[in-house]
Amino acid sequence: MPTDFDKDAYPEPPRQTPVAEKQTGLPNPALIVAKLFYYSVDLPVTTFRGVVGKIQAGNKSVYYHQKFRRVPELTQCREGDFLCYYEAEMQWRRDYKVDQEIVKAVQDRMRACHQREGHSHQQNCMKELQLFSDVAKAYNSRYGDLGAYASGRKCLMKQKERMMAGLKSPD
Amino acid sequence: MVGMSVLRSAAAFAARLNPLKHGNNAVNLLSRTIPRTDKVAVRWGHGKKMFVVKPTDFYDRRFLHLLKFYVLLTGIPVAVLITCVNVFIGEAELAEIPEDYEPEHWEYYKHPITRWISRNIYDSPVKDYEKMMAAIHIEQLKGEMRLTQLEVRQQMRTKGDGPWFQVETLDKSLIDNSHKSTPDN
Repeated sequence: MPTDFDKDAYPEPPRQTPVAEKQTGLPNPALIVAKLFYYSVDLPVTTFRGVVGKIQAGNKSVYYHQKFRRVPELTQCREGDFLCYYEAEMQWRRDYKVDQEIVKAVQDRMRACHQREGHSHQQNCMKELQLFSDVAKAYNSRYGDLGAYASGRKCLMKQKERMMAGLKSPD
Repeated sequence: MVGMSVLRSAAAFAARLNPLKHGNNAVNLLSRTIPRTDKVAVRWGHGKKMFVVKPTDFYDRRFLHLLKFYVLLTGIPVAVLITCVNVFIGEAELAEIPEDYEPEHWEYYKHPITRWISRNIYDSPVKDYEKMMAAIHIEQLKGEMRLTQLEVRQQMRTKGDGPWFQVETLDKSLIDNSHKSTPDN
């Protein structure tokens, strides 16, 4: 069964449902609909997953996240050493993917905060908004306009341009 | 006996003359009396069968039938297989890599079918990486060798003291010195 999400990254606000004081003799339609949903959808699905879980309890397998060793980067390779270039390129691609996932995770947290807070999101979500803004700016400056055929060399050249622009601007 | 047939034919004649009269109804329709069309049993079933004139849908229906057949021929076994795998085997769970343990290359995937494909059909990513590195290494050696060959060619041509670009001279015994062998020639 899929695991639940990280409760620290997506905190739930305290529940504010008031105590229900029935003032009419009529039945509460929301309660009826909720019970209907429970008995027609929730209970069958839960029992099915329980049954399937019992069947799968014997043969549980695990999977791991692969850890890659760090190899010398493009700047540390000798000229003409194409093997070093290849390893550096593969490492750069893995780092690119990791950075994309980081941006997605931060963006997800910001959107969850926005959805939680509702109309007061601009005030209450400052941390997430600031974090996402920083992360997006950093990602843009590093990988911004590299395009579909991005490679480690192009990224390095972009960094060089950035450093040159940084040197020029104080003048 | 003859009188009976006369009576029957007389009854038939009377029924034919005036079929509406009470005594003249055809008691047995099997005798040669007229058919009664006003007292037929009418049942409102599926209605009268009509012959609807429309263009043929034989080819369309045949096509759709065959399409359904061939799609489901492999579609149903594949769907059953995937359902059984998901119900009876189930996906793997994420865990930390234990100390001093090197996971096999298929243990980095979640779904059992992906794991099976990675284990039995594909080479491990390490092997693919090494294959690519071997190809790059061979190409690198080829490139270096070509560059050195060009350099060597240039050197040997200019300096002339190497084994290449040596022009074979003629054999000494072939030279005909007869026209300058004596001073008076």
